[in-house]
Amino acid sequence: MTQKVLSGNYAQSYAAQLARVQVISAYPITPQTSIVEKLADFVASGELPAQYVKVESEHSALQVCLSAAALGARTYTATSSQGLLLMHELLHWASGMRAPIVMGVVNRAVGPPWNIGSDHTDTMSQRDTGWIQIYAESNQEVLDTVLQAYRLAEHPDVRLPVMVTEDAFYLSHTVEPVDVPDPERVDRFLPPREPHAVLVPGTASRLGSFTGPDYYVDFRHQVAEATERVPTTFAAVEEEYERIMGRTHGGPFPTYRVDDADAVLVTMGTITTTARSVVDELRASGRKVGLAKLRMFRPFPNDAVRALAATADRIGVVDRSYTFGSMGPAATEVSAALYRSPRRPAVTSFLAGIGGRDVTLQEVRHMFDTLLSGAPAATHWEDLEIEEGAVHG
Amino acid sequence: MIEIRFHGRGGQGAVIAAELLAQAAFLDGKMPQSFPFFGVERRGAPVTAYARIDDKPIGLRTSIVAPDVVVVLDPGLLATTRVTDGIKPGGLLLVNTHRGPESLAAPPGVRRAVVDATRIALSHGLGTTMMPIVNTAVLGALARATGAVSLEGLTRAVEQFVPARPQDNRFAARDGYLGVRIEAASEAASGAAAAAPAAPARPRVLPEGPVASLSSEAIDTAAWRTFTPVIHLDRCTKCNFCWKFCPDDAIEFDDVGFPKIRLDYCKGCGICAAECPPKTIEMVATEI
Repeated sequence: MTQKVLSGNYAQSYAAQLARVQVISAYPITPQTSIVEKLADFVASGELPAQYVKVESEHSALQVCLSAAALGARTYTATSSQGLLLMHELLHWASGMRAPIVMGVVNRAVGPPWNIGSDHTDTMSQRDTGWIQIYAESNQEVLDTVLQAYRLAEHPDVRLPVMVTEDAFYLSHTVEPVDVPDPERVDRFLPPREPHAVLVPGTASRLGSFTGPDYYVDFRHQVAEATERVPTTFAAVEEEYERIMGRTHGGPFPTYRVDDADAVLVTMGTITTTARSVVDELRASGRKVGLAKLRMFRPFPNDAVRALAATADRIGVVDRSYTFGSMGPAATEVSAALYRSPRRPAVTSFLAGIGGRDVTLQEVRHMFDTLLSGAPAATHWEDLEIEEGAVHG
Repeated sequence: MIEIRFHGRGGQGAVIAAELLAQAAFLDGKMPQSFPFFGVERRGAPVTAYARIDDKPIGLRTSIVAPDVVVVLDPGLLATTRVTDGIKPGGLLLVNTHRGPESLAAPPGVRRAVVDATRIALSHGLGTTMMPIVNTAVLGALARATGAVSLEGLTRAVEQFVPARPQDNRFAARDGYLGVRIEAASEAASGAAAAAPAAPARPRVLPEGPVASLSSEAIDTAAWRTFTPVIHLDRCTKCNFCWKFCPDDAIEFDDVGFPKIRLDYCKGCGICAAECPPKTIEMVATEI
């Protein structure tokens, strides 16, 4: 193991290299570009014996990965924002064809207005494409999760594509110490892909072609069932990772100081780090608050959310995006999960960090204050209620 | 924990400076974090970068609004950006300038330090007169002025992570370390802060309508300019090439058809000077 000071983007590149990906195809877009630039360096220098396919758009990049995966290759691509939106059609193809592609996504705002800051609207818009979605909080988590994602995606019980996301700039361009595991150790965790149901050149077979109403539903139901097996498989994958690497990130929905908490915030991505500091600060002054990190958004960890509701009286969900006419997308999911729970604490939806707006200590304190005040559950555009941290140089 | 904010321009190396500082701190055995904020990703546009250094992992992922140290890579920014906003009492302002520390406006109690990083960079052939690469010289000065990183750590970081000309950059860091001028705490600024005008307050409610809140005519891209084009009309043939190639429509014509620079919008990119067939346009350094 080597410790390196890496950006979140380079953590993606190193993970793809360690995973010994065979085909990479991508199109540049800020703030993703340095991921695939680094991979291009690895390929050019011979450090990564892979095929790097240059294309004219993100749509084609994913098509290349899809075709390579259909032939049994381990593939990687990365994108962000508008690039992910352009891939939308092929995202459905990837899950429907059971292609175990792993994609890095740097969460960036969707225009207009044009903005390169962090925002989850891009991946939330892909909620229903059948991809597994995992949101990282640190560069270490980025690297570890990409490796775990290949095991999960290629697992015989799953065989679905995975996106591993990181917040623009707050991870993508932030450098911090990261443990980079030795290749031999990664090889023990992640053996070469065992192709299943792939096309063999020279042999007549079809993937994803026409199916009438007689069988279409069966294929869709297979995807649904595979998705339902993800929580069990992911737990096993993480356990194996911990056994070999000595590190875990706590499953799809890790909690922090929630046991006797009156109010719990559910956060995603980098807002979690700042919120954890606020929990420690408020706990030190005797206020009972806790934190839950929504690490896996698809499939949604319904059971873990219901378990949290068994103790917490007030739940706030922080979303870095908004679903127009409703509330934060994670807040809608948490609410839906709780409706089938014997205990149903009211859910407050906080919208924070939209378009790269800084989510400060003060802003997180304000959210806990709102929850603890006993105010009725509502949707708060937190960025507009708090002024500090709004201005950049 | 020490929090450092860098102000520079796109292409000057402020982002790399913050990253190199983090690498140096890590080699010193510390737990660093650094990240940039890009307003627009354009050469010459103001850029902010941040670094935090602590003995334990950093539990914050926010911009730095109350820095211990502010580093300014381009003195031209002092007139347009309120670089010392939020700086902590007893904090340090380090500026790349050939002037003395007393020339800097800073809030009361803030210590001032200067380093002529442009001269150091050019003396080692780093960058060009139009765009000197000053970051390693400035980091040397920062190491001396704050002790945030050791010169040894910085030197090793430069050797390992600066892909182009590591030796010249190492010398620049050393010269910055030796050449920084720091005022004593007793002489710390007592005058008024920041000469730059305050940013306009964010309107509480934006009018609904077009998605851009400002016309591009209202955006002061002249603040990006470090070199100004001067047209020597005696040799001008009125060919209009400068006007055709100007990426910002910052060239207009006078009554008799000679080109004229619109200084409110010219970013000083130098494309007109490069394209002018009889070479009548000269790029002149803006006096700071």
